[in-house]
Amino acid sequence: MLLDGATGTELQKKGMPSGVSPEKWVLENPDALIALQREYFQAGSKAVLSFTFGGNHPKLDEYGLGDAVREINRSLVKVSRQAAGKDGLVAGDISATGRFVQPFGDLPFEAAVNIYKEQVAGLLEGGVDFFIIETMIDLQEARSALLAVKESCDLPVCVSITFNEDGRTLTGTDPVSALIALQALGADAVGCNCSTGPQNMLKFVQAMRPFAKIPLLAKPNAGLPKLIDGCTVFDMDPEEFGKYGPKLVEAGVMLLGGCCGTSPSYIARLESNIKGIKPLLSKQPVFSAVTSIRKTVQIGPEFPVTIIGERINPTGKKTLPEELRQGKTTEVRRLAMEQAAGGAQILDVNVGMPGISEVKKMTEVVETLATCVETPLCIDSSSTEVIEAALRIYPGRALINSISAEKAKLEKLLPVAAKYGAMFILLPLDDEGIPGTALEREAIVVKVCDIAGSYGYTKQDIIVDGLVMTVSADQEAAKETLKLIRWCSEEFQVNSLAGLSNVSFGLPDRGIINNAFLAMAMGNGATAVIANPDSEDLMPIKMASDVLTGKDKNSAKFITSRTAKEKPSREARGSMESRGLLEQIFDSILSGNREAIAPLLQKALAEGHKPDSLMSQQLIPAIARSGELFDKREYFLPQLIQSAEAMKAAVEVLEPLLKADAPDAPAKATIILATVKGDIHDIGKNIVALMLRNYGFNVIDLGKDVDAPLIVDKAKETGAEIIGLSALMTTTMVQMKTVIDMTKTKGLRCKFLIGGAVVNQAYADEIGADAYAADAQAAVKIAREWSSK
Amino acid sequence: MTSDTSSKIIYFDNIPATPEKKSIMSRLGYRTRLTTLQPGDISSMGETINLGLALCRNRGALGRLTITDHSDDSISLPDGNCFEDKQLARLLRHSEEVLLMAGTTGSEITTSISREMEEGNASRAVILDAVASCSADMILDWLMETFNKMIRKEGRKLTRRRFSPGFSELSLNNQAVIFRLLGLERLNLHLTDSMMLVPEKSVLAIAGIERITN
Repeated sequence: MLLDGATGTELQKKGMPSGVSPEKWVLENPDALIALQREYFQAGSKAVLSFTFGGNHPKLDEYGLGDAVREINRSLVKVSRQAAGKDGLVAGDISATGRFVQPFGDLPFEAAVNIYKEQVAGLLEGGVDFFIIETMIDLQEARSALLAVKESCDLPVCVSITFNEDGRTLTGTDPVSALIALQALGADAVGCNCSTGPQNMLKFVQAMRPFAKIPLLAKPNAGLPKLIDGCTVFDMDPEEFGKYGPKLVEAGVMLLGGCCGTSPSYIARLESNIKGIKPLLSKQPVFSAVTSIRKTVQIGPEFPVTIIGERINPTGKKTLPEELRQGKTTEVRRLAMEQAAGGAQILDVNVGMPGISEVKKMTEVVETLATCVETPLCIDSSSTEVIEAALRIYPGRALINSISAEKAKLEKLLPVAAKYGAMFILLPLDDEGIPGTALEREAIVVKVCDIAGSYGYTKQDIIVDGLVMTVSADQEAAKETLKLIRWCSEEFQVNSLAGLSNVSFGLPDRGIINNAFLAMAMGNGATAVIANPDSEDLMPIKMASDVLTGKDKNSAKFITSRTAKEKPSREARGSMESRGLLEQIFDSILSGNREAIAPLLQKALAEGHKPDSLMSQQLIPAIARSGELFDKREYFLPQLIQSAEAMKAAVEVLEPLLKADAPDAPAKATIILATVKGDIHDIGKNIVALMLRNYGFNVIDLGKDVDAPLIVDKAKETGAEIIGLSALMTTTMVQMKTVIDMTKTKGLRCKFLIGGAVVNQAYADEIGADAYAADAQAAVKIAREWSSK
Repeated sequence: MTSDTSSKIIYFDNIPATPEKKSIMSRLGYRTRLTTLQPGDISSMGETINLGLALCRNRGALGRLTITDHSDDSISLPDGNCFEDKQLARLLRHSEEVLLMAGTTGSEITTSISREMEEGNASRAVILDAVASCSADMILDWLMETFNKMIRKEGRKLTRRRFSPGFSELSLNNQAVIFRLLGLERLNLHLTDSMMLVPEKSVLAIAGIERITN
């Protein structure tokens, strides 16, 4: 079907001024739109889009028309109906609100759905034939509009996404992930429009086609916009544009039109060029895939086994339930990122625990994870309400864990799963309980697949759970699970999975049993496993099994993973055990091993070593060596500080003994440290304090945002020899001069050391400071130099 | 936010801006061919970096305003707002509009940095601090990249560089102007009397919107 081309830019040529509400202008000048749309029909368009691109509440509200959404949409459709006459079709045009929907933006998903439902109501009242949701820059907003249409009527609805030149939407969605998510949610056609010219759009369509179970749509711009002689123009003429018509149709496009920069002449060129050309329709694609907003994960016998990470589950954990109760998401994010980095391709999400609203918590967690990891999610709950809430707001195609043959699940959860197009894990049990044999489970699998088929499901949308039972209770259990997995793979040809950790309950060294079972399940044809990817040896065994079952082509992934393993540092030191006690003390400071240092010192003291000799011959040389390595960049900041932390622990052991041995020994200099007034950045100053204390200085840390008089008074009171000042901002560094001037006015003879991101030696010279230190190590050097004089 | 009808604010509640570990390590002074790490160091630092990334709750806001007047040392915005700085004025000399940006990693990470420092875990604190700093930069990079894509079809682009109050001669007092125009209370930010943003790992910036020319 040939659609129309650009409308807004063409109406501007017909006199529509900028800065006005386009929708209102058309209602006041309907003849301009009628004339243009008639030109499109004459050029070959079979359908035009109603002039309601900005017809949603937020957009109309920018012109004070937010209260007239239904009326404006209804009236604009009627204008287009006049142009369409009896034979032409009118599509209700819906586009972006200009706001970003959660999880990226701040507009709640349900609010977005309601905004679109209001517009849809007006379009339906006007008498549209179908809907086109177009120029959508965010998949989540497109989903909200699609749901609004589908929950309002049964008319066909097409969704067209705008991809940038990098092949992603603004929020990072690629064409395949967008297609899979939207067709699963019930779109009748999916495609792309605007942003790029037909050349790039051809690539997007070609990427989508192998996964398209529905017609594809394309409405490219006439190239990219450029400014020539003060006017915005598109660089492609109708002839050049028209050349891409046949290519797009051959690539599978069944709804074709134009976007920005096109006109009736472009559509006429398309019409003549595609005459007689039919899309090369392929067989109905067969694939199993879930998506996140940024990634598609395919599951099947031809792919390496998919790991579904199991760790986002409060059962048996301490931190996660605490944080979920407190409304925090840090632990969830950490578990998600760790599992994704560890090799999980899908993340199971279960937040079921007493004392919380599972619906609220699940939606919060799903929103958090949708943006913090690319990994698609598996929604795991026993509650249909929780699963529906999660599926509704999840910006992708999720997996459900799980649907069984229990009556309640089939009657309530299966329709919900079908509405949102989610894949699901089929649990082969029913109201009678868990069947003991593979044969009985097979019967349940067949039954659930049949019923799911009536909701539009195919076998590719289902993963059968082998129902792993613990072998310590029944040693035949694992065999039955493996039989079922083999039957799924060889006879029924459906994906299957094993939940690894169940098998080893009650046994020692559970990881060994789990990993052995992983290899056996893979050997019998499992296409996925639910597991902790960070379990010891799990991923290497999984990857080795992928090699042995021929799923890792040319063993490429296995080879890459093994060669990427961390290699020991070229300067790795020998083991602690091979070193003498004093060397171990030295090494502990140098390597920042603060747990080891106190016991080592106690042992050395017990063997008769003197505190002052341990300090002067081991600790001070070690911390000095750490500073040297830092100066040479062989150590970086965390290593320098780890040494300082170990030194601090050592000083805490030795200092009382040193004081007892030499009560009259002179103390090192007193140093006042402060982040100046108005400045709240203090991490650098805190590190300087730690390092100076390790060298025996008497450090008085006044904290951050400190008034100049307080610093001066404290220096006077303590007789401080050095004042160290820190500032991070140009506006606060001037306070350093205030402190210096005030100190001098009071006649104190302190030396001034300054530091911070915005200061340097020149500034130190300018304000009369004695020195500038670029980092904590430099500050220590200067202070030691001054105190030795 | 102003009488300028072309201006509006977009808020982002979850910005997928995750800095690469190598940029965090580099910020901490790691040099590929010089710095020597033990395998244990790598894994413990990696864990702390992962924790830091998990602690960051990246949010941001964008506001687009028309530039009403240019001079050599200032640019004027609607409603009497003005940014005075020669370098900024030079950066925006071809811009018809300005983009104001704000990004924050949230309070959880800054609370954790302070706690680690207080508990004597300074090395963890500096790693978390570097994660937060890199994330804050990444948020602004993401905002600029996203907005650039949004305006591409208008035949417009952002200036390559951005500018923050406190740098060059642009007074830190302009933080208050940007804060007000973007309504940053919505991101749970606040400004101290000395114009410091709280939580600490929050940044404001200005970039120009230019037409793409041949």
